[in-house]
Amino acid sequence: MSRSILVIEDQEDNRRILRDLLTSRGYNIIEATDGLAGVESAGVHRPDLILMDIQLPGIDGYEATRRIKADPDLNDIPIIAVTSYALSGDDQKAFTAGCDDYVAKPFSPRKLLVKIEHYLAQRKTGGNG
Amino acid sequence: MNNYPFTSVSRRFSIAFVGVVTLVLLVFAIMAIILDSAKVNADLEKQLDNALKLSSVSLPTPLWNLDNTVVDDFVGALFLHQAIVYAEVVWGNQLISRKIDDRFSQEGVEHFSDSAQFIDKSTDILFEGNKVGSIRLVMSRESVKHKFFLNLIRVLSLTALIIFSISITSLFITRKYIAGPLSRLQESASSIAHGNLDTPIDKASNDEIGQLAMHLDEMRESIKNLFVEVNKSKEKIEEYSRTLEQKVDDRTQELAQSVEELKALGEVSQVVGSSLDLDKVLGSIVRHAVMFSEADCGIMFRYDEEEQVFISRMDYGASREFVEALRKTRPQKGDQSAMGQAALTGELVQIADLHKVPDYPLKCVIDEGFRALLAVPLLREDKLFGGLVVQRRQAGMFPERGVNLLQTFAAQSLIAIRNAGLFKEIEEKGRQLARADKHKSEFLANMSHELRTPLNAILGYTELILDRIYGEVPEQIDDVLKRLEKNGRHLLSLINDVLDLSKIEAGRFKLSLNDYSMVELIQTVSASVEALVAEKKLTMKLILAEDLPIGKGDDQRLAQVLLNLLGNAIKFTEEGEILVEAEVTNQSFQVSVSDTGAGISEEDLTIVFKEFQQVDGSSTKTKGGTGLGLSISKKIIEMHGGRIWLTSEIGNGSTFTFSLPIRVEQQRGG
Repeated sequence: MSRSILVIEDQEDNRRILRDLLTSRGYNIIEATDGLAGVESAGVHRPDLILMDIQLPGIDGYEATRRIKADPDLNDIPIIAVTSYALSGDDQKAFTAGCDDYVAKPFSPRKLLVKIEHYLAQRKTGGNG
Repeated sequence: MNNYPFTSVSRRFSIAFVGVVTLVLLVFAIMAIILDSAKVNADLEKQLDNALKLSSVSLPTPLWNLDNTVVDDFVGALFLHQAIVYAEVVWGNQLISRKIDDRFSQEGVEHFSDSAQFIDKSTDILFEGNKVGSIRLVMSRESVKHKFFLNLIRVLSLTALIIFSISITSLFITRKYIAGPLSRLQESASSIAHGNLDTPIDKASNDEIGQLAMHLDEMRESIKNLFVEVNKSKEKIEEYSRTLEQKVDDRTQELAQSVEELKALGEVSQVVGSSLDLDKVLGSIVRHAVMFSEADCGIMFRYDEEEQVFISRMDYGASREFVEALRKTRPQKGDQSAMGQAALTGELVQIADLHKVPDYPLKCVIDEGFRALLAVPLLREDKLFGGLVVQRRQAGMFPERGVNLLQTFAAQSLIAIRNAGLFKEIEEKGRQLARADKHKSEFLANMSHELRTPLNAILGYTELILDRIYGEVPEQIDDVLKRLEKNGRHLLSLINDVLDLSKIEAGRFKLSLNDYSMVELIQTVSASVEALVAEKKLTMKLILAEDLPIGKGDDQRLAQVLLNLLGNAIKFTEEGEILVEAEVTNQSFQVSVSDTGAGISEEDLTIVFKEFQQVDGSSTKTKGGTGLGLSISKKIIEMHGGRIWLTSEIGNGSTFTFSLPIRVEQQRGG
């Protein structure tokens, strides 16, 4: 049974890089291109992990994170912010919004994969199927 | 003055003179009396002898004849001489006749032995050579005494009379010839002493006193002249002191006025300098202008270039109606009003009496009761900005100071107007700058984001290909892709550096201060460059002091600094060793990164920390990098309150060292 990862990202290339990276590792990818769709998709699919862009059409990544984390059914899903907001304080904002981790663009797919696997392994040992 | 009791000269003289005369007279009188009494005594004795002689002639016969009666008669006759007080005729032992003066009858014969009072003499009476008896006669000296006293009284009376006459005479003489003139002299002297120098001294007598008087008068004259001189000098001095006082008064007044002017100018200058509120400044200027030109009212005009008229901008001491009237009939450049003429000539114009000016264009000024006017144009570089007019109800010229000050105030007004203009300009510029700054920072944030997104795709795809996500890759393409990735990362570091530097410049570069371990920091950063070190076949050595304390600072930024230093060391070293050392000195971390590279010349030591500077312009191309790294590192260290420096020698490598407070609680500078 493959793990599912929700990618909320409006930019086609970035979505594709993540999709290519993660599918090559056998993950099931769910994609959303704006904040609201992302929140809705999280509720529907209950993914094992969410990769969240911050600058999104409609509600931004911070707001989407807050809403997902506000949902008791979803608040245990790890959310990794993947953003080009690399200015100082941006990481802090992401953590404040409820993100579990933060990766600045441009990211190294290799390093991101290490992070993803780390969180999924935690989830697995946490026994929450 | 002395305190001896006053005794007049004449009295002293009289006493002395009369004393001497009295003494002399007394001596003479006493001598005369003594001589006289001696003669009287002698006469008395002679009379007694005569009586005895007479007895010795007259008595022998009766005695011989024993005719006692004759004897008794004779003896009685002897008593006719008053001085004879006792007579006794004896024959043998037989008393023949005896007679005693009644006054002495009781006292006895023995009483006559006192020779002081009596003369007692005896003689024998001879008859034809035979003694027939003897006679004893006693004569009283009383008459002599009596005569003596009489003489004495006479002499004394005479003496007293003489003394009296002499005294009177001498008194008169001394009064007249000595005391009188002296007294007059004394009066004159006293009068002189009391300051009366005008009465001449009577010097009628031609004696010493006259001479004294003459000298005294001369003295009086000279004193008088002296007094006249002194008075003249005194008057002169008084005159001087009066003029001096006047001068001092004048100067004091001038000074006070100057001080007030300076104060006013100071106030105005201060307002001009401190306030950019043009109304406030101009208000202060007009008020001071009115005060110092001793006017009743002042108007500051703004010049309307298009219509060539002056429009009231600010007023002081003017009624609403007057200001309203001035808005309706405005002074025009070139008209006959003071302002119009001042504008035309560019000079100050003064009208002492409006009533003497026929057809003055501004009727409202005359209607308001103003007589004297002073107008000065506000001119700068031949451009007319306006004018300052002060007006007075009393005709006459304005005080010179006021006129001068008015020109100063006009200059101040110009500065104020210019300042206000400049201020507006500066404000506008400031707003523009703020906008530009906001735009810049927004632009930077956007740029950063926008550049990162495509860069993410480039680097992401490249890495995926290199990781064979899309299948096998020919070696040649693999090599190219690695170069592509390397350039992509370089581009990313450029973007990051430019972003950091802009943030530093905008003061928005904020440290986030956390506890950190210097050992871990160095180890992590070193580990991240291990691949690069290995790639260039260099060695890297860490010498870290034991027990380095936990520091406080922005560990991410410090890592950036260390990474930059290590990156540079690796970049500029072709062979040899990179050495990282860390210790605590003076309660600061001291961290150094040394290499065995080419080294830097002494004059270039400071350049390396400047933005966009690399020692050799060409090395930017060959070695890559923006040259911003060291500049950013320096700012980061300085924001931690530390410092960074470089020691190097051409051919002997370089050592970058930074000293960093162990615990930084507050960010320095910006």
